[in-house]
Amino acid sequence: MILNRRSLMTTALTLGAMKAFPGLSYAQARPLVFATFTGSWEEAHKAVLVPAFRKANADAAIVLDPMLSVDQIAKVNAAKANPPIDVMLHDPGPALVAIGQDLAEPYPVEKSAYYKDLISEAQEPMGPAPFFQVVGLTYNPEAIKTPPTSWADLWKPEFKGRVGITNLNSTLGTGWLVEIAKMRGGSEANVDPAFKALEELKPNLAAVAANPGALATLFQQGQIDISPGNFNAIQILKARGVPVEFVAPKEGAIAFKTTIHIVKNSPNRELAFKLIEASLSPEVQTALMNPPYLIVPTNSKVAMGGEIARVLAKDTAELKQKFVFQDWKKINEQRSAWIERFNREIKI
Amino acid sequence: MGAAPASRDVTSHGMGLAAPLALFFLVFFVAPLLQLLWLSLHNDTAALHWGLGQYLHFLTDPFSLSVLGSTLLLGAEVTAVCLLLGFPIAWLHQRVGPRLQTIIILIVLLPLLTSVVVRTFAWIVILGRQGIINATLQSLGIIDTPLKLLYTQFGVVIALAQVQMPLMTLPLITALGRIDPNLDDASCSLGAGSWRTFFRIVLPLSLPGVIAGCTLTYAAAITAFITQSLIGGGQMLFMPMYLYQQASTLQNWPFASAISIIFLLAVLAVVSVFTTLGRMSRGYGGA
Repeated sequence: MILNRRSLMTTALTLGAMKAFPGLSYAQARPLVFATFTGSWEEAHKAVLVPAFRKANADAAIVLDPMLSVDQIAKVNAAKANPPIDVMLHDPGPALVAIGQDLAEPYPVEKSAYYKDLISEAQEPMGPAPFFQVVGLTYNPEAIKTPPTSWADLWKPEFKGRVGITNLNSTLGTGWLVEIAKMRGGSEANVDPAFKALEELKPNLAAVAANPGALATLFQQGQIDISPGNFNAIQILKARGVPVEFVAPKEGAIAFKTTIHIVKNSPNRELAFKLIEASLSPEVQTALMNPPYLIVPTNSKVAMGGEIARVLAKDTAELKQKFVFQDWKKINEQRSAWIERFNREIKI
Repeated sequence: MGAAPASRDVTSHGMGLAAPLALFFLVFFVAPLLQLLWLSLHNDTAALHWGLGQYLHFLTDPFSLSVLGSTLLLGAEVTAVCLLLGFPIAWLHQRVGPRLQTIIILIVLLPLLTSVVVRTFAWIVILGRQGIINATLQSLGIIDTPLKLLYTQFGVVIALAQVQMPLMTLPLITALGRIDPNLDDASCSLGAGSWRTFFRIVLPLSLPGVIAGCTLTYAAAITAFITQSLIGGGQMLFMPMYLYQQASTLQNWPFASAISIIFLLAVLAVVSVFTTLGRMSRGYGGA
């Protein structure tokens, strides 16, 4: 083979074009693209959900493209007619935004084998919830000997300068604020009592983290000893040897539905449905409930076990009783105003 | 190219060679910027109604203006700290032997070789409640309860100053290196003391480096999203976080666009002040 300048250039350009426009290399069909969340979610889905899906669907090609909910919305919005994602994963707030912007396809409920087995809160016709995220109190058992039992414990004088919270950018921060409002006589539509309570919390506040992930760092550094926190995030810290424990407050742990949606105009609608079916199946949910993932299942056929049974709920009935679900439709209506108010009022 | 006919304009060659980069900039910088501007000129989040509402909202809102103000002030503080700490290092670099010079350059460059995220996390460890500073002060008996360093303006300034320090030191080293060492001797032999030599000879001649360093440090400090949010926390709002909040959490793209255009103009204004000072200093240095 003779290498001259021209053939080299042609090869280089072709390679470059294939790199720049990966669509060329796939010819017609592209693999199923599933936008999961980053971090432990991606790990769990790569290890459990993807193999289960491929086994059930003749090794169908699938790509994980982990990103935040809001980024999924932006990406699909930018190319509605030919979306680069087939399956979206959302927190409750962004899920309603995505549905409101007509980015999600109704879930073919009648075709689904597992939908009817989901607990009623997880049955969402625009995209069912295969998992729950649970928010309760997290604390450092070395510094706090008596475990806290209520959200109100954050206001105890002995925790002066020891409490961490996050701002309202996150689902956790917003959901917690609503819970505090409810504790003080407010609701999803009225969080004034919560802002008053925050004012009283200021002497205790050691940190307002920019995101829930930063709270983990603050625990590790001994900057805070108690905070509202995510059950799954705590498991990761515990596994790394950080002294931190989770308790569900007596007012009820906040449960966020993580919903999974078929993207409107997806070219892989059938495979997208199959992936979601796999995520709802008792087999996958059981595997994800076991260590190290400890993801709370939504399929009522899954028997709760291990750490989840110990800390959260022994069965679906107890789960329904102990978990608090919030009305994110109402929350979304005023969330931007709350964020503005939080920006202005919370200075420590 | 050297054989080109004398009648051809020699400057035209350069333009042709710059075309790929210019095209790249046009497609990936100018076009998105114009799109941003277009988006910011709409009053609603769906971008259907034209208007200056987003700008009016920002410019008439004391809170938004205070975010802009504190961001610009943060940049000034970081730049001042970098200049005060960086100048002696650059000055020392000119005065020592070649081996020490290599070591100084290595120390200055070392932070650039680790990622900003890693450096910022290191600062969390240093500034934390049980961090190095508090532990040392407590063991020496200087303080009883740990000082609050993390999540304060002081912490952000210190961490940013360290993170951005190379951007200040490197131009200073270059500028000081260009000064003829004989000028020092001449100044001394004419009767000037070392301070007078410094203020009348060294500082004016190094001004181009000072200006370049300040511009780079300033621009980098005010846009440093990661360090600002990790060290400053969620209740200290600077422009990059404000922008992120509006665009990402609230999906209010027109307001986010307006914020970024205003931020861009404010930064351009500050940078052009620096550049004007630089032009004046060149006249001074040449005199």
